[in-house]
Amino acid sequence: METIASVQNVRLKFPGADSLLFRDFSLSFQKGEKVLIVGPSGSGKSTLLQVLTGLIPNSVEIPIKADDIKIPSSWGFLFQDPDTQFCMPYVDEEIAFVLENLQIPREEMQKYIRYYLEQVGLEFDDIHTKIQTLSGGMKQRLAIASVLALESDTLFLDEPTAMLDPEGTEEVWQTLKKVGKEKTLVIVEHKLDHVIDFVDRFILLGKNGEIIADGRTQEIFHLYKDVLREEGIWYPGVWQDYTEQHRRQTPKSDVGGKNPVLSLNHFSGYRGKNKRIEVENLDVFPGEWITVLGHNGAGKSTLLHALMDLIKSKGSYQILGKDANKIKKLSDYVAFVFQNPEFQFVTNAVYDEIAYTLQLENENPDKVSERVDGLLRSFHLAKQKQNHPYQLSMGQKRRLSVAAAIVKEQPILLLDEPTFGQDAKNTFAILELLDDLRAQGIAIIMVTHDINIVEHFATRVWYIDKGILVHDCAATPYVEAMNDCRLGGQPDANGLFLSRNMAPQN
Amino acid sequence: MQMDFSYRETWLHKINPSLKLLVVVILFIHILSINNINFIITYTVGALVLYMCCTGHSSKNLFLISIPFLFIFLTSSTSMIFFGKGDVTWFKWGLIDITEESFFRGLHLGFRGILFAILGIVFSLTTRPVLLFYSLMQQVKLKPKFAYSFMAAVRLIPIIVEEMQTLRYALKVRGVEGQKGILGFYNKLTAYSIPLLSQSIRRAHRIAVAMEAKRFSDSTYRTYYYKIGFSKFDVLFVLYFILVIVVSYFTSIYLPYFSIQDVRYFN
Repeated sequence: METIASVQNVRLKFPGADSLLFRDFSLSFQKGEKVLIVGPSGSGKSTLLQVLTGLIPNSVEIPIKADDIKIPSSWGFLFQDPDTQFCMPYVDEEIAFVLENLQIPREEMQKYIRYYLEQVGLEFDDIHTKIQTLSGGMKQRLAIASVLALESDTLFLDEPTAMLDPEGTEEVWQTLKKVGKEKTLVIVEHKLDHVIDFVDRFILLGKNGEIIADGRTQEIFHLYKDVLREEGIWYPGVWQDYTEQHRRQTPKSDVGGKNPVLSLNHFSGYRGKNKRIEVENLDVFPGEWITVLGHNGAGKSTLLHALMDLIKSKGSYQILGKDANKIKKLSDYVAFVFQNPEFQFVTNAVYDEIAYTLQLENENPDKVSERVDGLLRSFHLAKQKQNHPYQLSMGQKRRLSVAAAIVKEQPILLLDEPTFGQDAKNTFAILELLDDLRAQGIAIIMVTHDINIVEHFATRVWYIDKGILVHDCAATPYVEAMNDCRLGGQPDANGLFLSRNMAPQN
Repeated sequence: MQMDFSYRETWLHKINPSLKLLVVVILFIHILSINNINFIITYTVGALVLYMCCTGHSSKNLFLISIPFLFIFLTSSTSMIFFGKGDVTWFKWGLIDITEESFFRGLHLGFRGILFAILGIVFSLTTRPVLLFYSLMQQVKLKPKFAYSFMAAVRLIPIIVEEMQTLRYALKVRGVEGQKGILGFYNKLTAYSIPLLSQSIRRAHRIAVAMEAKRFSDSTYRTYYYKIGFSKFDVLFVLYFILVIVVSYFTSIYLPYFSIQDVRYFN
């Protein structure tokens, strides 16, 4: 077999880091291999890919020392973030950018652009389409097309679906499986569902970039399952293991006899002059966990924005029997957690971040510190309380954003995909925290794409289609109906669909 | 508010962008040397015709865009009219001293401002940034390194706008929006700028790496997806402005609107 890429005795240190990331690290890849690299965050997976392609140190200047680095003669790199792979505004121009770099004559470009788009299954009436209008999955497929335009034999994939919803993830992996058949693939990924059957070699990295295991996929997967679980990798069956280990019962909320915390009647939300979300009639009770499902752009986030009064709305909206329009500060009743936690941070320390809202209202300092310390403990942030919020890890940032939002003990908590991009460990941690809040009587309304959350944590489902809340039912029958449909053999790519006979609750 | 910026392509779009830029810059410099109010009024009308008829944008958008220019016209001319020097006083009230000279000089300033604005906006409404940079690379030999970094930056703008909207919501929820006074302004400034900057720097870095991963290099030779040359429209554009200037010049001499030929004040 021909070695296509290798590194020997690499030593690498990030400026400002205490220790070396790689210490005499050696690894090689053979032609035609499909390799999966898995490891905890900070284990240097992405860095390794950049070293193997020469991006480090050629493009990203990081001190590195090695006996030998063999870079594949032709390679392509697919990055994680769909928004930061492109430098041109239109689809055709982006692929043309690669062709220009390769000095392909102008007359042949149109032909090539159409060919590569077809390879990744993208069809446009006019290839001069704005990249901004594409969904995340389509953007990543466009990125694959421009990588294919490099005509490379080796593809490096750096968590290509980390920022995509289930639908996009499915699309991208199908495309990659098709176009990658003849190529050498080196994949970094922490959602293993779609890749595990596709790769033949499995490399497990440890915390400091050392190789823990390297071998055939199935063997490593079985031998090191505990490590995978410990590291928060989304391996197939992670939910099953989690529920078995924790003996989780699907939560039942007992709404009998309680007064609704939130009632909507002929409620609608507007962006500009356009009606973007419409709800007929709803009551939300304390201790409910409602998951808002629906396709991309259906209006899930818009509903939350309307409930938080961030956009204009019409119709009746009552909180604890009071008209929401007459409530002076809605944030006393409703807490909101955004998808990107960084946007919510307004102070320079974790402690201040949680205390911020209380301090704005000149609460008694003793009371504030008591409440904040309590939250720091229950959200496992006590050790970091003097750190800057931006210094935290992904999971810590997420927990902090929830803690800061709920500090006023509001009865309603709205969350926009709080588990997005989080690893399995952090996801379970945050779900457990939310479940505790729910058990204390807080009503949770949460946008998600993850049907497992619906099955194991939610009590109720709202399904939004094209700006209208079309279904409102309990979580268990929803999941059962979905499983029936799945057995019936018509799974929706998004995992979101309803059988016709499933009646809404009210 | 989302503005609809779709447009119909006109002959102004087909002009070579580098040439268009050069012509506009030359006109800017030329305008600075005009001191005759009669000259500049006809000149402005000539430019206005292009703005109204030839940009291919909807009249609603053109109207909205023109509002700030009217504002520039009013503020720049009134301050000169009210406070400028002059001998023939028309009206005096406290600090305000309107003289014949200051009135015409103010009017002249206003027209100069609005003429600048019209030329600038005609240029930007009819030029796609991508084509401008392609043209600069092909005709002016701008280094691809600079051209593509600008194009990548242009692509980031809508993303930043979207992010600002999200940020505004997030800060409203956190209660930052409601603060008043200097401290409130400072808090708002840091609350907006730090996340936006940190995201943008990260993005810029990632795009740069992605571009190099697509074999972008500063090599001397590359092919171009858009070939940008010259056409009859370029000649038309240059001729149009020569005509406007000639007509303005002769009307200012033979058919002046006002008897004043030079608005400058000499003592």
